[in-house]
Amino acid sequence: MAGRRKAILDPSYEAVVVGAGNGGLGAALQLALKGVKTLLLEQHNVPGGFATSFVRGRFEFDASLHELADVGSADNAGSLRVFLDEAGTDIDWVAIPEAYRVILTDENLNVRVPFGIEELIDTIESEVPGSRKAMTKYMELCKDVNGALGILGGIADSAKPDRMISDFMSFVRDSDNPIEEIASIVRKLMNLLRVISKTVDQVSDEYKLPDRARAILYPYWCYLGLPMSRLSFTSWGAMLISYMTKGAYVPRMRSQELTMAMESRIRELGGRIEYNTRVEEILVERGKVTGVRTSQGDEIRTSQIIANVSPTLVYNDLISPKTEVPKIALKNVNARKHASSCIVVYMGLDTTLDELGLTDYGYFISKNMDTDEIYDSTYVLDVPIMQATTCLNNVIPDCSPPGTSIVSITTLFSMDSWSDVTPKDYFKVKNRIANGLIDQLENGTGANIRDHIEEIEVATPATFARYTRSYKGVVYGYELDPWDGVIARVVTKEDEKYIKGLEIGGGFSFMGHGYNVSLLSGRAAALSTLKEMGVKS
Amino acid sequence: MKKKNNFLGDIAGLIELLPERKRRIERASPGPIGDDPINELARSLHPQKIYFEIAEVRDETPTIRTFKLVAAPDSGTTALPVFRAGQYLAFREEVQGVVVTRPYSISSSPREALEDGFMEITVRKIPKGFLTKHIWKNWKPGSKITSSGPAGFFYHEPLRDTNHILGIAGGCGFTPFRSMIKDAIDNDLDLSITLLFGIRTPDEVIFKKELAKYKRKMGKKLKVTYVCSEPDGSWKGPSGFITKDVIKKQGGGVKGKTLFICGPPAMYRFLENELAEFKIPQKRIRREVFGEIDDITAFDEFPRGLKRKKFNIKVHIGSEVEEIQAKATETVLVAMERAGLAPQSKCRSGECGFCDSLLLDGEIFVSPENDGRRMAGVKFNHFHPCASYPVTDLEIIVNRSV
Repeated sequence: MAGRRKAILDPSYEAVVVGAGNGGLGAALQLALKGVKTLLLEQHNVPGGFATSFVRGRFEFDASLHELADVGSADNAGSLRVFLDEAGTDIDWVAIPEAYRVILTDENLNVRVPFGIEELIDTIESEVPGSRKAMTKYMELCKDVNGALGILGGIADSAKPDRMISDFMSFVRDSDNPIEEIASIVRKLMNLLRVISKTVDQVSDEYKLPDRARAILYPYWCYLGLPMSRLSFTSWGAMLISYMTKGAYVPRMRSQELTMAMESRIRELGGRIEYNTRVEEILVERGKVTGVRTSQGDEIRTSQIIANVSPTLVYNDLISPKTEVPKIALKNVNARKHASSCIVVYMGLDTTLDELGLTDYGYFISKNMDTDEIYDSTYVLDVPIMQATTCLNNVIPDCSPPGTSIVSITTLFSMDSWSDVTPKDYFKVKNRIANGLIDQLENGTGANIRDHIEEIEVATPATFARYTRSYKGVVYGYELDPWDGVIARVVTKEDEKYIKGLEIGGGFSFMGHGYNVSLLSGRAAALSTLKEMGVKS
Repeated sequence: MKKKNNFLGDIAGLIELLPERKRRIERASPGPIGDDPINELARSLHPQKIYFEIAEVRDETPTIRTFKLVAAPDSGTTALPVFRAGQYLAFREEVQGVVVTRPYSISSSPREALEDGFMEITVRKIPKGFLTKHIWKNWKPGSKITSSGPAGFFYHEPLRDTNHILGIAGGCGFTPFRSMIKDAIDNDLDLSITLLFGIRTPDEVIFKKELAKYKRKMGKKLKVTYVCSEPDGSWKGPSGFITKDVIKKQGGGVKGKTLFICGPPAMYRFLENELAEFKIPQKRIRREVFGEIDDITAFDEFPRGLKRKKFNIKVHIGSEVEEIQAKATETVLVAMERAGLAPQSKCRSGECGFCDSLLLDGEIFVSPENDGRRMAGVKFNHFHPCASYPVTDLEIIVNRSV
C-alpha cells in the first residue's frame, strides 16, 4: 500500500530553498520566475514561518505581523509591492491610516503620529515647539541616507565595475539636469559616509533633537530591536523614510495571505514545495554544496542552496560533514548577537474598538522612550516596560464578526530571560506576563479589555521555537550595531561567503530583519544564485 | 582574500567599519554554540510524538475503560509533557493494515504527568466501533502505543474565564473534567466546578468513589450531578436530559460561570435550545470539538442527491500519485485512511489544521460546524480533509506524515 511506501521526491533539483518563511518564499518565487527547477522544503505543514495566522473560535489572528513597510500604494509603490506584483501574486493590500499613537505614561505624552515627512515634522512641532528646524534637517539626512542606500543597491546589483560606471553614466546622461543630479548623488553619498558608523543617538545628539521630539519619533525602534545608543543610524533612517513616504500595509487576510499567495504562485510557476520536511543536513564537498538530507529520509542533490535559516544554525548544525565548516565561519556567527524574541498576547474581544475607545491601529505604550531602559527590561523575566499593540479592526473593520474586535499586544523579549523557565512553571509565567501586559494596555489607554476577552492566546519564545525552531526562539535576526549594520553586511557579503553554492536569505541576511527586508533579501539571495548559475536576469 | 566590491569597500573602509568588524570576528570563539534551553522547553511542552507503554487497564463500567500510560523510553519518550487540564492526545493506531488516529481527552492531572510519570485516558467502547473493538482486544498492560503531543483548547484559562466552571458532559465527556478537578486540587486553584453529567443508564455512573474523595478535598467548590435519561427503579437522581431546568436547579444557574460542554453532537444541538433563554455571551461558553460528524447528510447545507455517490480522488504525496475511491458521505481523511495512505491528523474536527492539504481540482463540502480553515486558506485552496467531503472527483496534494 502507498502509505507503506516512502513517498519519495525527485532525486535532484537545480536549486533547493530551506524554509518557507518570508525569505525562503521570496527566494523560491524569484527562482521559479526564472524557470529554475526549484524545491522549497519546510518543516511545518503550512507556509509562512512567523508570517502565518491561526484560528481560535470566531477569530483569526496574525501570528506576527504588525505592518509592512515598502509596499506603498499602487501609484507610489515600494519595491516589495513591485516585486510581488510583477511576480503575479494575488494579495489584497490594505493601507494603515496613521503611523502610530505613542503613549508614555511617565511623560504625560499621548500623540498620534501621521504618515508623511511634513506631517511628522508638523506633529512634533506642535508638541515640541521650536523643534521644526532640527527635525527638518534630521529628516533630510534620513532621506539622503535612504537615497544613498538605493544608489549603492543599484550599483551593487551591477556585477562588474566597468558596467557599474557605464550604468551610472547613462543614468546621468538621461537626466534632465545632469549637474544637479550628480550634485545630489554626491551629497547623498557624502551624508551616508558621514553617518555610516554612527548610532541613532549620536546623530540625534549632533542634530540637537529635543528629548520630547525623540520620544515621539523613536517608537519604531522596536521593529529593529536594538536601543538607539547602539542601533546603526543607516538602518533606522532607511526604515523611518520608508514608513513615512510609503506608509504601512497589511494583507486583508493576515500575513498568511501574503505567504500563501507566494506559495500558490511558486507552484503555478512549476516550483515544488514540500511541507513536514525539515532539512537536517546541508551536504558539502570540498567547499561546495552538493545536496540536502531531510527528516523524511530524502537525499536530494543540488548545487545551489538558499537557506532561510540563521547562519548560526547553518554552520553549527546543518553543514555536513562538520569538517567542511571553516573556523572563520564559526567565529563570524559567534561574533554576532541574536536579537530579540517576543511575547505576544492575541485577544479576540466581544466588543468593538469604538466601545473601548481604541481609535488607532498601532499603539506604542511605555513609561518613557528611554530605549536602553526598555531594552534592559526585556532581559528580566517580567513585564517589559514597553508594548506595541495593534487593533486590527481599525484597518480592516470586518476582520472579526460584527460586535467583536481583535487586539494583539507584542513586546520584545530577550531569549535569555526565558532560559530558566521550566515546563512546570511555563503556563504560570506566561500568564503572569500576559496579565501585566493587559494591565499596561488598560492603564495606557483607559480601555476595559479584561471584561471582554472571548479568546486569548499567549506566544512566548518557546512558542516561536516550537513552530520555527529558530535558535532560542529568536524572532529577529542579528543585532544591527553599526559594525554589523546593513552597510557592513553588504560590503562584506562576498568575503564572508564561506561555502560555494550556499546563499542566506531572510532576517539573518545582509538586509536585516523585518517582513519586507526578509522577503526581499530572499529574493536578493536568489538573484545571486541565478547569477552563479548563469541565468540571465 | 577575494576581490571586494571596490567602490563600496573603499567608502566603508574609510571609516573603520570594516576593521572593527574584522577585529570582532577574529576575536570571537570558533567554538560551537551552547545548548538551546528554549527549543528544549518547546520540545518538552510540545513533543511531536509520545511513545507510551500501557501500565494498567481499569474497567470503569462494562463499556468504559481507563488506560494508565507511562513513558516508553526504549521507543524514545523519556518524560511525559506537561499539559493544560482538558487537553487531548491523538492516538495513532494501525488496525488491519489501516492507520487511523483518534483524539482522547487526558483524564489524569498535569501534575501526575510531571511528577508521577503517568497519564490516563478513559475510553468508551462504541458499538460496532472498529477502533475501540481493536483497543479492547489489543491494549493490554505492556502494550506500546503512540500519540501526538497534548493538543486542543478545551481548558480553563484564568485570563479569559470566570473562576466557576459549569461543566456539561455526555457520553465519555467526563474525562477532561476529571483532569480539571484533579488539577484544581493539586494546585489549590481558585476555581469552583459544577458538573452535570448526562448518562443513559444508571450503570454508566463512573468515578463515583474517587469523586467522593475529590468532594472532601474541594468541599463546596465541587458539585457533580448525574442526570440519567433511561433510569430504572433504583435511580434517585434527576432523570431525563440536561434541560434548562436541570441547569437552573442542579447546576445553580449560569450567572458568573463559564460553561464547558463536552459530549456528542446531538447533545450540543439539544443544549443550544436549552441554553437560549439564558442569553449567555459567547465568551462564557466553551465547546470541546467532537470529532467527525456521524451523519453529514443530516445537515441542511449538505448538497442533495449525493448520499450514495462515490468519487475518485487523485492524491499527490511527495512524488507519488494514488487514485482512491471516496464516498460522498465520508470525509476525505477517512477515504485516505481506508486506502492505506496513512495521512496525519489530530483533532478530526477541522480545528487543528494538522491535516492541512491543497485542493488542486474539484469541489468539496466543508461541514459548517467544523470549518476551521484560515481565510487565506480558503482563498488559496487549502483545506482540512478531516472536515471535508467530496462533491465531485478531486485532485489534491497531501503532505507526507511527520
